[in-house]
Amino acid sequence: MQHEVFANTEDFGGPDIVAGTGRISKPGVDAPYANYELGKPFDEMFSPDGQARATYAAIDSRVSRLPLEELNRRQQAVEQSFLHQGITFTVYNDNQATERIIPTDLLPRIVTAREWDRIERGLTQRIHALNLFLRDIYTDGRVLKDGVVPRSMIYGSKHYRREMRGIPVPHGAYVNICGSDLIRNEAGDFVVLEDNLRVPSGVSYMLANRDVARRAFPAVFRSMGVRPIEHYPLELLATLRSLTPFHEDVSIAILTPGVFNSAYFEHAFLARQMGVELVEGRDLLVNDNVVYTRTTSGLKRIDVIYRRIDDDFIDPLIFREDSALGVPGLFNAYRAGNVMISNALGTGVADDKAVYAYVPRLIRYYLSEEPLIDNVETFLCREEKSLQHVLGNLDKLVVKAVGESGGYGMLIGPHASQAEREEFGRKIKSDPDNYIAQPTIQLSTAPTFVGNGVEARHVDLRPFILHGSETKIVPGALTRVALKRGSLVVNSSQGGGSKDTWVLGQ
Amino acid sequence: MLSRVADSLYWMSRYIERAEHTTRVMAVKLESMIEQTPQDAAASWSRVIEALTGELTLDATQDAFLTTRKLAFDRENGAALITSLSMARDNARQVREALSNEVWENLNRLYLRLAPVTMDSIWVHTPARLFREALEDMHALEGVTYSTLSHGEGWYFLELGKHIERAQLLGRLLDVHFRGPRDGSQNMPKYFDWLVLLKFCTAFEPYTKLYTASIRPQKIAEFLLFDPEFPHSVRFSVDRVTDALARVAPGAPPARRAAVERLAGRLKASVDFGQIDDLMSGGIAGFLADITRQCEKIHETLYASYITYGAETVL
Repeated sequence: MQHEVFANTEDFGGPDIVAGTGRISKPGVDAPYANYELGKPFDEMFSPDGQARATYAAIDSRVSRLPLEELNRRQQAVEQSFLHQGITFTVYNDNQATERIIPTDLLPRIVTAREWDRIERGLTQRIHALNLFLRDIYTDGRVLKDGVVPRSMIYGSKHYRREMRGIPVPHGAYVNICGSDLIRNEAGDFVVLEDNLRVPSGVSYMLANRDVARRAFPAVFRSMGVRPIEHYPLELLATLRSLTPFHEDVSIAILTPGVFNSAYFEHAFLARQMGVELVEGRDLLVNDNVVYTRTTSGLKRIDVIYRRIDDDFIDPLIFREDSALGVPGLFNAYRAGNVMISNALGTGVADDKAVYAYVPRLIRYYLSEEPLIDNVETFLCREEKSLQHVLGNLDKLVVKAVGESGGYGMLIGPHASQAEREEFGRKIKSDPDNYIAQPTIQLSTAPTFVGNGVEARHVDLRPFILHGSETKIVPGALTRVALKRGSLVVNSSQGGGSKDTWVLGQ
Repeated sequence: MLSRVADSLYWMSRYIERAEHTTRVMAVKLESMIEQTPQDAAASWSRVIEALTGELTLDATQDAFLTTRKLAFDRENGAALITSLSMARDNARQVREALSNEVWENLNRLYLRLAPVTMDSIWVHTPARLFREALEDMHALEGVTYSTLSHGEGWYFLELGKHIERAQLLGRLLDVHFRGPRDGSQNMPKYFDWLVLLKFCTAFEPYTKLYTASIRPQKIAEFLLFDPEFPHSVRFSVDRVTDALARVAPGAPPARRAAVERLAGRLKASVDFGQIDDLMSGGIAGFLADITRQCEKIHETLYASYITYGAETVL
């Protein structure tokens, strides 16, 4: 059932899959693209004049020839398969628990070898700089003494962990697993929107989506030289192993909050794929600064913990004492060097909105290199020149309070009234340190199957970076899709879905 | 193996066994009731309800529709088929990494198929059909469990759950048939009811191979209690429990292992050397109650030895 065959004979070859057989589909005109809107944002499939880009020719040729019913059938088979595999999250309302799948789209998003090369080098550079920065602020604080980053911004951050100061971290790798959100701007360049340095999730969807797209378009997949991503769990295992000096017989566990967590499927998936234990806080105990799990035969020592629990909850003795998810004494075992925790604690200080703005400078400061991938242009109101620019352009900018998230303390300039903008301007002037501003962000659009055709939907790109004794980025990513027409919100909790990402070999 | 994982595997397996037992009994009951008089069918329903839920029903006119709903689809009923399946699935979900994809998907699919079923939708056709189909799915689940999981410690915890549960379910089913009605009526099982009892346990053909088709309560009791080869006999389950106990928790301290194995040995002795003649002369209810008690004791000791033991006792 899981391996239901979508393919008909054409999927295994035949003339129709060869690109450029003469038929050219016009977005906004021809089925299945009759409702495909090309706007100001960069479109992944069509150039502004409505020509399908060469990378999408094979997909276009296949999709245009498959009847809609067949596409729908394949879409339904995918959804069935996700449901049966339990790739679901649970929504609770009125004491009713409903299981939903995160919608996945059949059509792959394609990234060329050249684009990927730049992304890979850019993200490698970035993770190096961020790890150097973390080591610096938890040891000498050189970057603070040199005045590159304001001291108050770091020590005032609620994600700064004083407890981490001076604790040695193997290879200086504080962040071992990173998921950075990239978007493609109107010019077609990838820029970083956000780094997720704490417990990024989504990699299981990257792998599940590959299964989907490969089965939906087997011949196209094969003809395009898509780079494989299936070794991600192996790379992750190698990264975790590299954190301990003993390479033989390392006992590794994934620490999950449990079955009610929305990413639980991913935790169990990775444990199975890597062949390591999946543990909950209640399975672990600390004695004499050594971490054990309770097994049927007795206690077994654990050397490395890939934790999928936030800092705050990891050890009730040190952090939140009301945490029932964590393990009392875990931090002391970590401090004693008897267990490795990945990601290290306190990494969140480097992914908040204010530090984000400094990342290009951090790259220059630590690596003496120019950033290979830019940030979204960000103005720090704590700097006089930027402040003047922001105040003069409030109608064009999005202003965010650095300590807030989830849309609080935010001004969306183009949508605000004159009075609101004036009011917000006063707030900024009274506490400029607390604000950053960015131009309104456009996400690129990509073809997405919507039931009665293929339409343009906004997408982002989340590659997963592994960093232990070396840096590895599996050539793939989670492409998140805002499924509502016109929406820019790709989060799965708010109507977002995802699709496979094909990184081409050449 | 993590104690918590062993715990979930064990309970997943118990719940699957309970669900399968309920399904089989429902299928046979719904198929056979058409051949009974209303009174006999009602008496038979009372026995089924008591065997599956432990509830004593004095109402002699059991309504098949309402009873089926209660026993199969009423989520308020802790013993209902859908409740057992849902519990089995919840346990399986917590140990996804310890199961094969095939096991999880078969179980999940079975649950997702039965969860939306309404009584009205099955009652318009042959109601037993749904249960027969579910039974086929359960056999498939048992098959993939056998063939896709390593027969290591986890698998033996599944065996323990299955057979501790099965021995007790069988005990209850035998008890309601052999002890006689509690409501004071004279509804003793008749010839047809004994036949149905065999079918509740998929035992009709295996029984006739051994004893011919002559249906005699004493022989039925002997077969379902003491046959060493039939998978739905108490003795068969007890043998599996004893075997499995020798294979779990290989590194546990000898004293802990001995505590569980001693109990299992005692239970094994009582079914290996049980004499049906002794039991039929009045002691069967007491014997069955003793088997159930021993199973419960094994469960408790199993947990104390391998799953809930205090960490301080091993440091």
